Amino acid sequence: MNGRVLDVIGTLARLGLAAVWLISGGIKAADSGQTYVAVRAYDVLPLDAVGPVAAVLPWLELALGLLLLVGLGVRAVAVVSAILLLVFIAGLVQAWVRGLAIDCGCFGGGGAVDPDATAYGLELLRDAGFLALAVWLVARPRTLAALDGILMGRTAT
Amino acid sequence: MSGGERNAKRRQQAEREARLAAAGIRVPQSSMQKNRLPMIAAGVVIALVVIVAGGWYYLSTRPATPTFTATASGAVVTAGTGPVVIDVYEDFLCPGCLALEKRDGNKIISALNDGKLTVKYHMLGLLDARTKPAGYSTRAADASLCAAAAGIYGTYHQKLFSVQPAENSAGLTDDQLVSYGTELGAGGDFATCVKGTTHDSAIKKETDAADSSDALKNQGAFGTPTVAKDGKRIDINTSGWLDTVLAGG
Repeated sequence: MNGRVLDVIGTLARLGLAAVWLISGGIKAADSGQTYVAVRAYDVLPLDAVGPVAAVLPWLELALGLLLLVGLGVRAVAVVSAILLLVFIAGLVQAWVRGLAIDCGCFGGGGAVDPDATAYGLELLRDAGFLALAVWLVARPRTLAALDGILMGRTAT
Repeated sequence: MSGGERNAKRRQQAEREARLAAAGIRVPQSSMQKNRLPMIAAGVVIALVVIVAGGWYYLSTRPATPTFTATASGAVVTAGTGPVVIDVYEDFLCPGCLALEKRDGNKIISALNDGKLTVKYHMLGLLDARTKPAGYSTRAADASLCAAAAGIYGTYHQKLFSVQPAENSAGLTDDQLVSYGTELGAGGDFATCVKGTTHDSAIKKETDAADSSDALKNQGAFGTPTVAKDGKRIDINTSGWLDTVLAGG
């Protein structure tokens, strides 16, 4: 596969992941109460830590989304994205294993649900897909129309 | 790639660049490893966002201090003396009620403190079946009614949500419900009241009445939290619902 095709694939991965973070962060930022409930439902953090995490998470997601959108520090942002997604996946797996009945709250919502209304398999599959986008960008951060390219003296195309 | 191969590659690269330089061609710095500016810029942006969001959280979410008065009648606590009156239907086990408390609790307390609002809190035992053993919702509702009698309803209400137990847990014990109230200054017969069942029948009646009220239904069913004005459910999903209500809407 030539470099041009790889650049296009990388660009799609970058913009796709940007959309994921901007949408999920935006929804979470818009309803702070719901985000608190969603974080708390994982039953991992002590109650005192749920508040700060729920307050910072939406803005962190929005920042990652924005940086990916403009293509600034793509590799670093992709690394942080991958770590965050791994944390989400770990949270989901522990909830599933422990038999908690919660909604992941990935794109808003979240909290306890009926035991037969959980969708851990699908939620994990989706997160794995997002993780694949991040991993691609860690391995090959070069994309089209990115600030990185301009700052590093490549022609922006 | 072994170390030897890597060195060989690097040497070849250097030779290539030297040949280009000799021919008068400037090679732009294109290697990711060489130019760390974008990485640093992105790192700074991420760090700033985390610091600002965290700082804003600590400055903005200190709980407001309730100074309003509250009186209980049956299973309904009337808080504040403001001209605008709303009904709030809550269950201390309900996660949505906690979400409402987290999002709008401080605004409601300010409006009550400032004499702009009156809230009739309907203390329900709707989710009694969701603890093991059953009945935490009613016990907590009962304790909050005891707290109203002891003059600490506002702070006690905040406290019970800040320590809300998870669904399918045992809930807080009666002793915990007592000690939270005692810490907030409840005296007299508060402990006896919490451990007793004085309000249980009133809570049951209030729960059944709310559960079967057509005016309070949302998509065919009653759930907590529900907020009503003039007996009819209002939409609290839109942010700013409280401002609308306070403005007379």
